[in-house]
Amino acid sequence: MTESFARAVGRRVLSRATAQELGLVARLLIDPGRTQVAALIIGKGKNARIVDWDQLSGFGPDAVMLNDEGALREPADERERRAAGGDLELVGKRALSGTGNGLGTIADVTFDPESGRLESLLIGNRDVPPSSLLGIGSYAAVLDITE
Amino acid sequence: MKVLLTAAQLSRLPVVTVQGGEDVAEVRDVIYSPEAGSLLGLTLNKRGFFAGRRREVLPADAIHAIGRNAVMIPDESSLAEPGSAPDAVGQPPSGRNVIGNDVLTEGGVRLGTVRDLALVVGSRGEVVGYQIDKVGGGEGYIPLPAQLAVSGVALVVPNATEDFVRDDLVGLGAAVEEFRTQLGLA
Repeated sequence: MTESFARAVGRRVLSRATAQELGLVARLLIDPGRTQVAALIIGKGKNARIVDWDQLSGFGPDAVMLNDEGALREPADERERRAAGGDLELVGKRALSGTGNGLGTIADVTFDPESGRLESLLIGNRDVPPSSLLGIGSYAAVLDITE
Repeated sequence: MKVLLTAAQLSRLPVVTVQGGEDVAEVRDVIYSPEAGSLLGLTLNKRGFFAGRRREVLPADAIHAIGRNAVMIPDESSLAEPGSAPDAVGQPPSGRNVIGNDVLTEGGVRLGTVRDLALVVGSRGEVVGYQIDKVGGGEGYIPLPAQLAVSGVALVVPNATEDFVRDDLVGLGAAVEEFRTQLGLA
């Protein structure tokens, strides 16, 4: 079973404890080591809240379930604020090789919904391992691959 | 793969950090040594139209790679204040610009005037030829030997250059090695 960032965006987020609907998945944030979905960003703009991956009771095909509503928190640091603002969004991001050549745009990112482990980046018709990511910024994702 | 660009194509390319994925500047102009045929560095503009010049320069040895779509640097600390950069980069000598110079062979044949530099890019940039406005009209590309006599008025090239005038950058890429081999330089 594989999930993708493009499919996950817009999915309902509910509290397991209260069955309240808390919002929709707006973005996914990966960890600095680029191996894992670190957190989900729920809602946009000033209303954006973060929930860490380990606070989920399930990432299901129809809804994302949180242990309880208290798991939602404000962005805690600069990186999380930039992510909430969309600066670090991978899907739709320009992809550049480390040698300065354009590779296209990142169409999607796949991951395992059980563990949150990243599987691959889809760039054009290529599957690229997430370990080849050298840097992600507002301008581009830089990848250690040859074109 | 070998990529050739003219200096004009290089200008306006974004300067992007490998670690950060940020476009911190864009190329304004090329600083190079006409005698050595080597790229010394790049002057920079801020990003965006009419955003103006950046004080810092990018020394060639701080460049991670130059590609078709971007100049890659490790991070923003690769940009150097003009005062702390080597003199050739921080205060490039004026009056040695070859753009507009006549290209003459050792035998005294005028091939044209220099319009632009042609660089092989990759992990580092090397000036390997010139784009010229040919005497008979139209543009051409000539390969350079590694060393060259330049005066700021004219540059003198080996007689053999006449046989290696090419119509485009792709042709120049192939001609450079052949030309240098023939001169016994490669």
